[in-house]
Amino acid sequence: MTQSGKAVKLPVKNDLGFFEIRMESIGGLGANVAGKILTEAAIIGMGMNGAGFASYGSEKKGTPVKGFVRICEGDQKVRINSPVEEPHVLAIFHEALAKSVPVTAGAVPGKTVVILNTRRTPAEARDFLKLEGGRVGVVDAMEIAMATGSRVNMVMMGAIMKAAGFYEWKAVEETVLAQFGKKYASLMKSNMEALQRGFDEVAFGEFPADGKFPATPFTREEPKLGYETAPIGGTIYSVGNMRFKDLSTSRTGTIPLFILDKCTRCGECDITCPDYCFVWEKGKDPKTGKDGMVLLGIDYQYCKGCLRCTHICKFGALLPSKEAEQDMDKITVKHKFLK
Amino acid sequence: MAQTAKKQSGRPAQTMVVQSGNEIAATAAKQINYHVMGYYPITPSTEVAETLDAMKAEGEHTIRMIPGDGEHGAAGICFGASTAGGRVFNATSANGLLFAFEQLPVQSGERFPMVFNIVTRAVSGPLDIRGDHSDIMLAMNTGWITLMAADAQAVYDMNVMAPKIGEEMSVRLPVMVAFDGFFTSHQKRRVEIFADDQVVRDFLGPFVPTVSSVDMKTPVTIGPYMNDPDQINNKKQQSDAIIRSYDVIKKVFAEYEALSGRRYDLVECYRMEDAEAALFILNSAAETAKEAVDALRKEGLKVGLIRPNVIRPFPIEEVRAVLKNVKGLVVADRQDNFGGWGGAMAIEVKAALQGLKGNATQVAARVYGTGGKEFFVEDAAAMLREALEIAKTGTVSVPYAYFGANPGDPSFTPAKAFDPITEAQASGLIRVETTPEGKMEVKGNILRNLTERPKRIGPGHGACPGCGIFVNMNTFMKGIEGHVVILFHTGCGMVVTTGYPYTAHKITYIHNLFQNGAATLSGVVEMFAERKARGEIPKDEKITFIMVTGDGGHDIGMGPSIGAAMRNHRMIICEYDNQGYQNTGSQLSFTVPLGQSTSTSNYGPHQHGKATHHKDTAQIFAACHVPYVCTVAENNPRDMIRKAAKAQKYADEGLVFVKMISMCPLAWKTEERMSVPIIQASVDCCFFPLYEVEHGVTTINYDPEEKGKKVPVTEFLKHMGKTKHMLKPDCKPELDRFQAEVDRRWVRLKEMHKNPLL
Repeated sequence: MTQSGKAVKLPVKNDLGFFEIRMESIGGLGANVAGKILTEAAIIGMGMNGAGFASYGSEKKGTPVKGFVRICEGDQKVRINSPVEEPHVLAIFHEALAKSVPVTAGAVPGKTVVILNTRRTPAEARDFLKLEGGRVGVVDAMEIAMATGSRVNMVMMGAIMKAAGFYEWKAVEETVLAQFGKKYASLMKSNMEALQRGFDEVAFGEFPADGKFPATPFTREEPKLGYETAPIGGTIYSVGNMRFKDLSTSRTGTIPLFILDKCTRCGECDITCPDYCFVWEKGKDPKTGKDGMVLLGIDYQYCKGCLRCTHICKFGALLPSKEAEQDMDKITVKHKFLK
Repeated sequence: MAQTAKKQSGRPAQTMVVQSGNEIAATAAKQINYHVMGYYPITPSTEVAETLDAMKAEGEHTIRMIPGDGEHGAAGICFGASTAGGRVFNATSANGLLFAFEQLPVQSGERFPMVFNIVTRAVSGPLDIRGDHSDIMLAMNTGWITLMAADAQAVYDMNVMAPKIGEEMSVRLPVMVAFDGFFTSHQKRRVEIFADDQVVRDFLGPFVPTVSSVDMKTPVTIGPYMNDPDQINNKKQQSDAIIRSYDVIKKVFAEYEALSGRRYDLVECYRMEDAEAALFILNSAAETAKEAVDALRKEGLKVGLIRPNVIRPFPIEEVRAVLKNVKGLVVADRQDNFGGWGGAMAIEVKAALQGLKGNATQVAARVYGTGGKEFFVEDAAAMLREALEIAKTGTVSVPYAYFGANPGDPSFTPAKAFDPITEAQASGLIRVETTPEGKMEVKGNILRNLTERPKRIGPGHGACPGCGIFVNMNTFMKGIEGHVVILFHTGCGMVVTTGYPYTAHKITYIHNLFQNGAATLSGVVEMFAERKARGEIPKDEKITFIMVTGDGGHDIGMGPSIGAAMRNHRMIICEYDNQGYQNTGSQLSFTVPLGQSTSTSNYGPHQHGKATHHKDTAQIFAACHVPYVCTVAENNPRDMIRKAAKAQKYADEGLVFVKMISMCPLAWKTEERMSVPIIQASVDCCFFPLYEVEHGVTTINYDPEEKGKKVPVTEFLKHMGKTKHMLKPDCKPELDRFQAEVDRRWVRLKEMHKNPLL
């Protein structure tokens, strides 16, 4: 029962009686807190039952993370503990994730509403995510978060509430207040504004499963190395193979830009970079013509956008820049690892 | 946020909250208001202490929270506290439980009740932080009563009941409450709690000590030396007590039902009335599996589920009774008793059935979900169908098997990422020369030229943006020539550079748990030396051995590091000091300065951050009189590289200790790009002076005073979100004490610099 005494009915439920939400994010954008608020608002504020959890591991800031919310009617018990596979709302907090994570797995046309934090239109978002079809919502959560002085998660929560359809404004507002009110009372106005704008500004498009893109069913992936093939004891022989990872999804909009003309090849950037992105080679110094180590550029596959290097370079050869304004394929210089 | 308290049918009012298993365990502990909590952070149980610390800063309880130097120390704190006549609480997981293991039989064998929350997780190795039952099943036979909490509500209820069970005069035993790491510990659920803490306190009553180590009227000897023929009698008493607890648990469960309206039985039997086939399974997976029971029941299949709420004492009568008419049973264990033909529960259940007249239950043992592998309704359904097959055929075709293990793809070969770094590629950039006066001089320390040095850690690691660990490691390694073997303690640096099947390390790397890295590398160093001596490895082969630890790993692992220093092995120990246990979510380490806020030293009206001064690890090693000790900081890379080169040279003689200050943007709450100015301020305020100690002779390498750059500590503190409160008027006493301590240590260091005998 809600505080007003009305029983809230879920618009749709799966076989086990749940309305389910999945959030695809990176550590640091607040998907976990969003899940907590959406769970608590439904349970405490609206008299329902549910669960909120995340794909925990040792996730660091910038690494992919999933948040899950399961809501059922108040008299039902929550027993299932496994992750949400085919959600009713799939909220993608960080669009660059689509490059490296199967974020759309389990999106079912007609069941799943997909929400993307993006500047794209719904049609562009559908193409970008290669969705089979269904309802797609877009919201520029980053922009709204900056404009309101809030965070991406508040905007995305507003959009999720709109897509879910059954959330009561008052319940969410009170939960946000309980979550942040005490410690961050000054941010309450910004947070509520971001939530409201997310709710109001999410724009939807409806796309038939017209065969443009194949279905993206959820698969429970098994590792390629198994008990018959993995070296015993967990030993890894392929040393340094983390280099095959693409860390560009850790970035949240800014990159260092390398200005070759300004570079004095002092080597300070190679000291300060925690992610070993600078590509140096033996060669002729472009200024003096002498033999020596020469900085060729940045391998952006590994750059997390911390901007340490832009701070340390005294010569203006490394400048903060908006990633969206650059052609990343063109400006990246790849490391040469194997001869 | 909590829903208004509701009073039902004469029972005390209860409130609805949404909390995770960890949070609700802390809530129960707060309501009980234990006297003392001894603890040490370990995933996934850490939040229990964190939540209690945050509550303490707000004045919600008065539990004395004592961070141990490791779980072994924490268990010692708990044991000591429990001898002194009050209620004691602790929480841990996995290797934390194993590190505390020795203390478990001490606590039970000497009969001091306390409550220990075990947030179950896979034990190493390889290191796995996710949930399974390999920890609790190892601890099951240490004489503790063991309650299994299947969901967040049960975590609360059992935490309220646990002290009452253990403190019962006929029992006097410690109690473990075990719940599933991540599945239960981190999942937010609806939980009903008593609205008034006093209800919980009245239910338990005051703690009544049977022995008190601080009762001066009754002096006692606690823990005497006891051999045969006495010890067997002590064990008989202990066994009688835990057997007696069988009825006490039932009594307390009944009293609690009367108070709360929530019923617990020793064994929960779900749809077992007419079941021919059943699944015996613990905790959160059992809850998931109930969905499968319902689905199969809809098909008309006579299946049910058995989930014990208590495993010590093992509810033998209840298990026998429920299995009376069951023909096929699958016992699923989230761990393996390797070589025992089944997990712990499979063996227990089979033993319970032994000799039971007229029983025809056939049992299959399945090991599932280890290391946190997800457990789905479909998995439970498959197990139930196996049980049905056994019931139908009357035979168990596969008595013991792994469920959900994967053979792998035989066509897959991991791709090669790098060629091994050769001696030649890694050499020839830096030289250490000894002057006629016997001083070491480092040649070739030019940052540009050193970009040629192959990086020993490759790109692609998963550290947070701006992480200082990899800046320090890379800079330090620029000063190291030739082959290196590296060992990392558990910590951020380790976790983000290896996540199977990936590794960022291009050179040979070893991990061992952070109690023991220095001892482990000692073994490597000595085996290398002995194999060289025996001619198994060429005599001219040279390897530099480096151990890397965080400052946290050097709390729990300090003992073995000092041991390695005293034995003077030829190796380098690098401590990246990021001022806290950042891998588990920024709890206090002993290097955190006075007044600073961490997730276990919160700032609030009732607590002003950490209560004690920072550990001076460099001086601890200097006091071990090893050949070389130094401190380094990334704002002075050439100083760091010079010291690395010297460290390598000194490691030919014996042990070297290097302390690196390392920014953690996440925990320090700073902008990622601001590392250098913040580290610079830490050096300029003399909090982190740059110096070296060569054979006992101290040299300050950078004197901010001399350069007119010395600043007050506030210039360092003002940059960081975690220390901003220290600039507020209410923290003036802490600020002054911190400044005075920094000044005192700096003046002392200057005296050491002046006098080679100091």
